[in-house]
Amino acid sequence: MTDPIIRFRGIHKSFGDKHVLRGIDVDLERGDTSVILGPSGTGKSVLFRLMVGLMEPDEGSILIDGVEMVGASEAKKFHVRKRIGMMFQDGALFDSMSVGDNIAFPLRRHTKLRDAEIAEQVALRLGQVGLPGIEALMPASLSGGMRKRVSLARAIVMEPEIILFDEPNSGLDPVTSDDIDSLIERMKDELGITFVIISHDIVGAFRVADWIGMLYNGGLIASGTPEEVKRSPEPIVRRFLSRNLDLPPLTREAP
Amino acid sequence: MIAAALAGVTRAVGSVGAFGYFVVDCMRSAWRYGIRVDRISEEAFKVGIRAFFVLAVMAVFVGSNLALQGHATFRTLGAGNMVGMFVALAGVREVCPLLAATMVAAKAGTELTAQLAVMRTKEQIDALEVMAIDPRAELVGPPLVGIMITLPALTMIGIGLSILSAWLVAVYQLGVDSGEFLDLCLRYIKTADLLGSLGKAVVFGAIIAVVSGFFGLRSERGPRGVGRATNRAVVTMCILCISSNFLLTSLLYGR
Repeated sequence: MTDPIIRFRGIHKSFGDKHVLRGIDVDLERGDTSVILGPSGTGKSVLFRLMVGLMEPDEGSILIDGVEMVGASEAKKFHVRKRIGMMFQDGALFDSMSVGDNIAFPLRRHTKLRDAEIAEQVALRLGQVGLPGIEALMPASLSGGMRKRVSLARAIVMEPEIILFDEPNSGLDPVTSDDIDSLIERMKDELGITFVIISHDIVGAFRVADWIGMLYNGGLIASGTPEEVKRSPEPIVRRFLSRNLDLPPLTREAP
Repeated sequence: MIAAALAGVTRAVGSVGAFGYFVVDCMRSAWRYGIRVDRISEEAFKVGIRAFFVLAVMAVFVGSNLALQGHATFRTLGAGNMVGMFVALAGVREVCPLLAATMVAAKAGTELTAQLAVMRTKEQIDALEVMAIDPRAELVGPPLVGIMITLPALTMIGIGLSILSAWLVAVYQLGVDSGEFLDLCLRYIKTADLLGSLGKAVVFGAIIAVVSGFFGLRSERGPRGVGRATNRAVVTMCILCISSNFLLTSLLYGR
């Protein structure tokens, strides 16, 4: 029996003449790691921004655990967002604050925890992402991989039910990228909550995903378990996957 | 051409509407989040320190110029000693509130706009929203109240320094009698004038902070967006401060 925590129905979004999303219908299951895969510029980030209500679709409905986000009041959106954490592509850490203050920030704004309890939480989350003891460092002194990890620590500090990962492997060398995938796998086991990842990194996606949706030209052209997507006869999917997976490319495929 | 003009008018009306909505939203957010004394005092102190030295230099030279111009004008009427009255009226009622506002707009206003625009580019504003923290309340509210507190204080400092410099120039360069200068100065500065200047400074402070926040939070992403937002903010701040100065002067002295 399915238990979708995120449900998109008939989502359309255009920017001027560019029709970025053309009727997306998809259910993302509770507790699953769902990866929305696709080449750059196919509307993956737009889908993410719609999901958290940073943008409104032109048409359609987005339900987060039964709560309609389209046309919702700011207060209602904020209420839903308290249940969501997000790891940003470049971390989106606040430059003027130390790593510790960055992670403590949502706790200071949303809870009445004492300083000692907050410090304890910060240390715990930094330990979870494999960066213990770096509370005093400033974001500018961190590498790309470390920024992503700190961003993840900040995303999980409020114990959300859904974590969104925006291109977790982009801009990283293969070793660091592999480390991030391992971290996602480990966090998936430790936290047991819903992960939604947008990515164009095929290897990482197939490693961590329970479900993969392939976004192309504004629509989902393939979806299912990693094995199902691998078997997709869709030429674009095969062309996209053949670069990194051992799949034979089709010779006469659509451009 | 007509279509372009119509589109321009529509954009302008849209921007005015969006600005009005932003002002209301800022007030609503500030009310919802309450007064945070630590952040407000931090912002007020920051604005005060940054604008003080440049304001002091400007006030000294503006006061000196007022003395020179006033003396040159009144001397032709055979009343060069009336310069004290001219300095008092022009400085207190008009020049110093606008001078302090211009300096705060140039130092604190542009910095706030650029800071917000960079945060937007680096997805830090999105990060705040995903954390269910209102960027207007978090990033615009404290500077708004801080500038509204600091600008009147800076205006008073500007008034004091401009009168002091005018007195020095009048007495030691132009040979005006010191007692007569001070007597005319004090006789013409009424408590209502000082209160009027303070009121103007509070209004200018609100304009500077809200305009800075509006353009910063709505900037396009990227370095060009930061530059454009700062440019638009400073032009709008100057136009709104000068036009509202006319309205306030009409209200206070126009009868």
